[in-house]
Amino acid sequence: MPDKATVFLIDDDQAVRDAIRLLLETSGFTVQAFASALEFLNSSVVGQPGCLVLDVRMPGLSGLDLQKRLQAQGLRIPIIFITGHGDVPMAIRAMKAGAFDFIEKPFQGQTLLARIEEALAVDGQERCRQAQRTDAAARLALLSPREREVLERVADGQYNKVIASELGISLSTVEIHRKRVMEKLEAESLSDLIRLLTLLQDP
Amino acid sequence: MHDAKDRFSAPAEPSGFAAVPQLWPTNSPPCIQSNRGKMGDCHPATLSLVFAFGGLIWLWLINPTVMAWLNPAGTIPFSLSVPSALVILASAGLLYWILQGRDAANRVPSPQNQQLIEFIAHSADPAFLKNQQGCYLAVNAPFAQLAARPAIDCLNRDDSALFPPEIVDVFLKHDRQVMADDTASYRENTLVIHGAIYSFHTTRWPYRDAGGRSIGVCGIARDITAQKPAENPVPGARADMESRIRERTAALLSINADLERQIAARIQAEVALRDSQERFRQLAEHIREVFWVYGIDEERLLYISPAYEEIWGYPIDGLYERPMAWIEAIHPDDRARVKIAHIDKRSSGHFHEEYRIVRPDGTIRWIWDRGFPVCDEAGHAYRIAGLAEDITRRKLAEDQLRRQQVELTRISRLSLAVELAANLAHQLNQPLAAIVAYTQACLALLRQADTDPRVLTGTLDEIVNQGLRAGEIIRHLRELVQKHPAAQAAFDLNALIRSVARYAQTELNQAGVSLKLALADPLPEALADDIQIQLVLLSLIRNAIESMSEQRDGPHQLTISTSSTDSDGVQVTVRDTGPGFRLEMEEELFRPFFTTKPGGMGLGLSVGRSIVESQGGQLWATLNPDGGACFHFSLPVYPVS
Repeated sequence: MPDKATVFLIDDDQAVRDAIRLLLETSGFTVQAFASALEFLNSSVVGQPGCLVLDVRMPGLSGLDLQKRLQAQGLRIPIIFITGHGDVPMAIRAMKAGAFDFIEKPFQGQTLLARIEEALAVDGQERCRQAQRTDAAARLALLSPREREVLERVADGQYNKVIASELGISLSTVEIHRKRVMEKLEAESLSDLIRLLTLLQDP
Repeated sequence: MHDAKDRFSAPAEPSGFAAVPQLWPTNSPPCIQSNRGKMGDCHPATLSLVFAFGGLIWLWLINPTVMAWLNPAGTIPFSLSVPSALVILASAGLLYWILQGRDAANRVPSPQNQQLIEFIAHSADPAFLKNQQGCYLAVNAPFAQLAARPAIDCLNRDDSALFPPEIVDVFLKHDRQVMADDTASYRENTLVIHGAIYSFHTTRWPYRDAGGRSIGVCGIARDITAQKPAENPVPGARADMESRIRERTAALLSINADLERQIAARIQAEVALRDSQERFRQLAEHIREVFWVYGIDEERLLYISPAYEEIWGYPIDGLYERPMAWIEAIHPDDRARVKIAHIDKRSSGHFHEEYRIVRPDGTIRWIWDRGFPVCDEAGHAYRIAGLAEDITRRKLAEDQLRRQQVELTRISRLSLAVELAANLAHQLNQPLAAIVAYTQACLALLRQADTDPRVLTGTLDEIVNQGLRAGEIIRHLRELVQKHPAAQAAFDLNALIRSVARYAQTELNQAGVSLKLALADPLPEALADDIQIQLVLLSLIRNAIESMSEQRDGPHQLTISTSSTDSDGVQVTVRDTGPGFRLEMEEELFRPFFTTKPGGMGLGLSVGRSIVESQGGQLWATLNPDGGACFHFSLPVYPVS
């Protein structure tokens, strides 16, 4: 996953942009640099795995503005803010809005590199979870209404007998439904089934 | 005059003559009759004899008869009758002596006197005789006519009783001269007597007693009024003259009527003037300002209203006594200047000074004193009318305001300094961040065993550039905030604008604002405190940036231009393409603490205006026809020597 992930660097200061890009590339990251937030938004890379290294103050759309836009689009790419101002209120706003970190210029290269590593890892995990969730949801969609009713009760920990009497069906029918659910959701045990359901219920 | 001539041209009637009795013997000439019958005028001897004779008849004939009739029984002893007769005779003697003594001084009977008196009596011209005391002893009829009273009434009176005072003087002088010189004197006098004008040729000479001693003055006056205007009388000249006199009299009468009308009008005007003066007085005495009137010709203060006592705290009377007292009360720092203005006002008529006075209690008051010339019809300034006003309260308020402005400027400078520091941090952090990143990249590359150091050349060049960039930023900042004496000096406004623009370039870039400079060249040097003007300009640029950042669309264009103004000044205009402002808010913009920005203090424009005005310029705002606002400020120009 890290190999595929890209660091998206957005800074209006050409020198800063160039220097950071060189630093990151030397450290083995894939970097894509943009001179403004709009340039990034208009590019085809939005939504791709990776993390954002974003200058707070920029002409036009500021770093904080871009953060809002991405959130509005449901994109959860980690954002590391870099700023020339030790602006505490701005940092708080950024962090509250879900920023991954807020780093003041000039910074130790190691600090930034370490945070980028972490950010990429988080993004990778998040994307993995997201993929599993999407997969699980797709599988869940295969269940018939009756199978769904049986699944809900199984997840609640009810016995087959109780389920049969509640649904007004025979015990053997319940068992058949249960087996079909396990197959469709590709669950080998009850605990697998519960984990999958929990994944789907997470935001 | 005509009448007078008639009077004197007629022959004098001796019967109109009068003289004191002692000048006339008992068998005196006919004129005396008019004096008879008066006791006081009888001869003393006659009077005494009549008294003695009458007394004795009473004693011896009438008294016994009466007594016997009243008291038949009684007898009067003869022994009593004899002393009584002696007393009567002695009384008569005494009476004679007294009467004789009283007239002794004047009584100088001599043949010459007799002739003199007769000459006076019969002269056709006014003639007289008076004693040393100036009392008339003899006058003839023409004289009596002149005195406008019977001759007898002139006797024993002096000139002051007979003639108007101005004539009396003339007469007495002549008399004194005659007596002092003891010789005859001739004079020609023109006299106004009882309304008529006469010209007299008067001769006066001493009146002497038998011993040749001067005891009075004789005189005779010839009326030469008729000959006077034309010395050589020509037939018809008089008639001509009389007609001219009549014309002249008529003219005089009409002039007189005119004069009377004018006098009436004058009186009316004076009444009106008194009314207006009264109104003026009421006004002057009730206004809070000191009203004063200075007489240029008189070189003194003519009037000052009672408010002077109130404001100056000194009595007005003292001011009239010592007109410079008001100047002495002026604060020593202002006195010389006001004194000069006071002297100048006499020639210019104008006076306009602001000064402090020290009241008797030591308190200081500010006075605004101004005077204007009052001209007569010919345009000549003969007075200066002025008002002196106590402006202490206003002055204090101004001081208060100035202090507040200084404080605001200080606060604003402080906030500007904080902002400058923040800006500096940001600007310096950019190259520093770049340098650190480049360097670390280089280090990372060098750690890789197979790296050719030559590939680092470009990166190291970048590091050098970034270091230079940081130095440049600091140099500009130093230019901007360099410690400067806060005094006005000549400077190149265009250079200042370029320097500030360089400083603001980062902010402009970040805000996506493009800057255009339209600087007039050549431009006269401005005279101001350049550091303060830099702050004002920076604040205007920031306002423009912030106002333009409010709108997303449209051009973000900032234009700074310079130009020379008509009135010996230079002008800077900062023009933006932002939303502008509502016209009715134009003045609000410059009020302290007015702001449209959430985080702004609202001091920028108000302080900016204070600064520019303190440098002798102005700061104002206008709207662009095609949108956006313009802020202009002007500065005085350094005089070209």
